[in-house]
Amino acid sequence: MSDPSSINGGAAVAMVGKDCVAIACDLRLGNQSLGVANNFEKIFNYDHTFLALTGLASDVTTLSEVFRLKTNLYKMREERSIEPETFANLVSSTLYQKRFGPYFIGPLVAGINSLTGKPFVCGFDLIGCIDYAKDFVVSGTATDQLYGMCESLYEPGLGPDDLFETISQAFLSAVDRDALSGWGAVVYVITKDKVTKRLLKTRQD
Amino acid sequence: MNSIADSFYSNKAEESIDNEFISKKLSLTPSLAMPPISKPTAFLRAHTDDNTNPDCKIKIAHGTTTLAFRFKEGIVVAVDSRATAGNWVASQTVKKVIEINPFLLGTLAGGAADCQYWETWLGTQCRLHELRNKERISVAAASKILANLVYNYKGMGLSMGTMVCGYTKKEGPTIYYVDSDGTRLKGDIFCVGSGQTFAYGVLDSNWHWDLTLEEALELGKRSILAATHRDAYSGGSINLYHVTEQGWKYYGNHDVGTLFWETKAKEGSFNNIVS
Amino acid sequence: MDIILGIKLNDSVLIATSKAVTRGISVLKASDDKTRNLGDHSAMAFTGESGDTVQFAEYVQANLKLFSVRQNYELSPKAMASFVRKELATSIRSRKPFQVNVLIGGCDINKETPETSLYWIDYLGTNVELPYAAHGYAAFYALSLLDRHYKPDLNEEEGIKLLQLCNKELSTRMPIDFKGLRVKVINSQGVKEYDDLTAL
Repeated sequence: MSDPSSINGGAAVAMVGKDCVAIACDLRLGNQSLGVANNFEKIFNYDHTFLALTGLASDVTTLSEVFRLKTNLYKMREERSIEPETFANLVSSTLYQKRFGPYFIGPLVAGINSLTGKPFVCGFDLIGCIDYAKDFVVSGTATDQLYGMCESLYEPGLGPDDLFETISQAFLSAVDRDALSGWGAVVYVITKDKVTKRLLKTRQD
Repeated sequence: MNSIADSFYSNKAEESIDNEFISKKLSLTPSLAMPPISKPTAFLRAHTDDNTNPDCKIKIAHGTTTLAFRFKEGIVVAVDSRATAGNWVASQTVKKVIEINPFLLGTLAGGAADCQYWETWLGTQCRLHELRNKERISVAAASKILANLVYNYKGMGLSMGTMVCGYTKKEGPTIYYVDSDGTRLKGDIFCVGSGQTFAYGVLDSNWHWDLTLEEALELGKRSILAATHRDAYSGGSINLYHVTEQGWKYYGNHDVGTLFWETKAKEGSFNNIVS
Repeated sequence: MDIILGIKLNDSVLIATSKAVTRGISVLKASDDKTRNLGDHSAMAFTGESGDTVQFAEYVQANLKLFSVRQNYELSPKAMASFVRKELATSIRSRKPFQVNVLIGGCDINKETPETSLYWIDYLGTNVELPYAAHGYAAFYALSLLDRHYKPDLNEEEGIKLLQLCNKELSTRMPIDFKGLRVKVINSQGVKEYDDLTAL
């Protein structure tokens, strides 16, 4: 298995609720079968916009730094933080710039638009095609499992607490059926004026 | 009794199968159907061996950690319970110890179906030996039946790494390692499977001959736990066995999900974990 | 297969590397040093493609030295690891990538209380901070052993004991003789070097 996007393993999911969004990722970083680190977070935030990056760990780090640079420059020029919708387009164009030598990643964007208060999630393929979704998006080595769990557990209009419960159950069950994901998990629940980060205690095999 | 034995002994393989790969001399083998194509082994390898062909469509269940070691009070056998097909966790509740008879245990690593089938088959051979000779089969003989069998299929894609563990009066507690290459080794400590190295790491640094039974069971369990933690293809739960003069005794199924956190709290180990 | 191990202790970092250089069926050297100091309070151990390893290590060493001479201050271990990571991440998409895996151990003396850290970086440019780490096949034996025996706040003597335990396991289970381990101890005082672990 020398497929770059499944060398290190990892999974992420984002869901829309009522006036809130949630985004979750695992903490494993592996080298094929060998688990190397369990402190490798795959969710990054640029003020109120959240980005999950799964796939090749090297590219995850590289891209998180690229977007830190770009969002900082954006902030200086515009004198405001980037909105999720705008950031999604920034991700898309950045990825397409590497059309013929892509980054081996699967990004997800989640956040609440600070002007309209509208929840927003979307996913991408590795060269920047945006997948707008009104319910949930998934990414990583456990995508099949995540789709199965989300399709069955998700319901529209959940409040922050119920959304946390749903995303956590879906994510943990999915990740336990994937050999390359797991080893701890993080869930962010984002509302208009509050962000809560929770570490989930998970199986360690 | 002999008529019962004979009915098992008669062999249809010689009549029905005319294949270059099966030795006609080996009358013990049951018949396995061959696909009607020119090179069955190459065909099988192309479609099922994810080592040589990572894109193969049929993924046979793999991945394991198993161990067995000898000590003052007998043998401890410990195994995990995960089966994987590629990165898909196919099962977390596989039985990887096969109870061949009340005095013999076989462990299962590699191709799940291969091990299950042939070790069950080994059980019938051991029973037939008892009926014919009015005496329990030795561990050496049992392991050799299995080793000879797999050797006959060498190169045809069987994949198994197993430990045959047992106790007989004349041998004492004995472990034989048998794999599908045809290797057969007697020894004190063996770890087999994708997580073997992790199990060795813990086992070697804590094993000594004078371990008490309680210590030995704990060590076996702890060594598998280490492997389930680091090896992506091992996990689920741990099955524990102890083999003595009285035969084997089962020491329970231990879920890694809870065992891990208990062990970490008790030992103050696994200090790489954040939460 | 070369062995490199790193263990973070309460006020220092240990880095152990195997002394054998093997080509084909011959051992060419039994006293090799697979480490380079990146500054007064940090060292890097490396394994990988022969030729690439030393070239890369000395390239990094020289650039970090140049930085410290120009700016009159030394990069923190975290910044050094970040620099090394970026070099490897850029290199992997080049025509001829460096196939080098490294461990960086360092002590940040500019913090209020000196802070030790250990970074695991592979040839793809994957960078993680860990309490203990290893590259190559050695990781498959040493990590489970360290999961069991490592405690936070070990002192130097206990750290050496732990390395000796790893050495014993590796000597019994690794299929080739790696000719023992060389050790570097990095703390706020600087980098100490011992040319054999068993003599300690």
